[in-house]
Amino acid sequence: MHELSLADAIVSALLKMQQEEGWGEVKEVRLRVGALRQVFPEMLSFAFETVTKETSLAGAALVIEEVPLVWRCLDCGSEWKEDSGVCPSCGSFRREALAGTELEIHSVEVGVS
Amino acid sequence: MSKIVTLQQSVMAEDEKFAASIRERNSRIGLLMVNIIGSPGCGKTTLLEKTAMRTGLSMAVIEGDLATDRDAERMARLGVPVVQINTRGGCHLEANIVEKAMESLPLDTLDVLFIENVGNLVCPAEFDLGEDFKVAVLSTPEGADKPLKYPYLFTSSKVVLLTKTDLLPHLTFDMKMFTEDVKRLNPLAHVLHLNAVDGGGIEEWTDFLILRAKEKKAHVR
Repeated sequence: MHELSLADAIVSALLKMQQEEGWGEVKEVRLRVGALRQVFPEMLSFAFETVTKETSLAGAALVIEEVPLVWRCLDCGSEWKEDSGVCPSCGSFRREALAGTELEIHSVEVGVS
Repeated sequence: MSKIVTLQQSVMAEDEKFAASIRERNSRIGLLMVNIIGSPGCGKTTLLEKTAMRTGLSMAVIEGDLATDRDAERMARLGVPVVQINTRGGCHLEANIVEKAMESLPLDTLDVLFIENVGNLVCPAEFDLGEDFKVAVLSTPEGADKPLKYPYLFTSSKVVLLTKTDLLPHLTFDMKMFTEDVKRLNPLAHVLHLNAVDGGGIEEWTDFLILRAKEKKAHVR
């Protein structure tokens, strides 16, 4: 159900841009999805295919790039990959997600006449 | 012939605009907004009932459920302004729906607005509603392994409430595992243990809320 809402948001945004920018056929859509975003790629692909049916995006390929998690310590600057809230170098609890929270339409390949 | 167009646009861009507009308005009027997330039956509505009875804060609730207005009735019985949203099949609330629901609440007279999200540990954690913070609610019968199984909610919540602690003597709940896992995922989270039977822990929760509501009001210029 969650993937269906995402597919719907992606398709609405793309249809709007297709009209505004005068794109031809949309051949490929590239998404970047962070590991923290709880997206199940197979289910999103299926939802995308379903939502695009009978729209001008029908047949567009969906490529999902999964972005692994990277945390950075706000105190010592160390970076680590596992989902742990504690800096492995200095033990600080203050961290930011450098990567892994993405949920973006990265690019599209469109036909031009 | 074809070309690649780079967009780097958030999938939720449309909804993020609604969340930003809610956040901006709440800052302007000093209204604290709290997004309560947990499984069906974990005690979200009971928590809000106890909160309404104990805090003395002026509060309102937006209830998200697939069906019925039972939760709204429970809040209305306590004189709390409430809006019920029925999502039919929808597994979470989104900011555009919340903004609409807020229109029928007396926002200027409130200290805290609670969103009781649809019972679910997955999707509600993903959608920014414009809240100040999320509260993850887990009840002891659900099991101590849940934080690691649903890490996004527990990583992104400011408060983790463990409810139904009066049942602990009857369960095999591994408190050490729960405490360590939450600490590992989110070391800065405020973890509180509550039970609605004798009201244990509820004061800590309401003290926390009162403080946050005051901070929010203090920032209005």
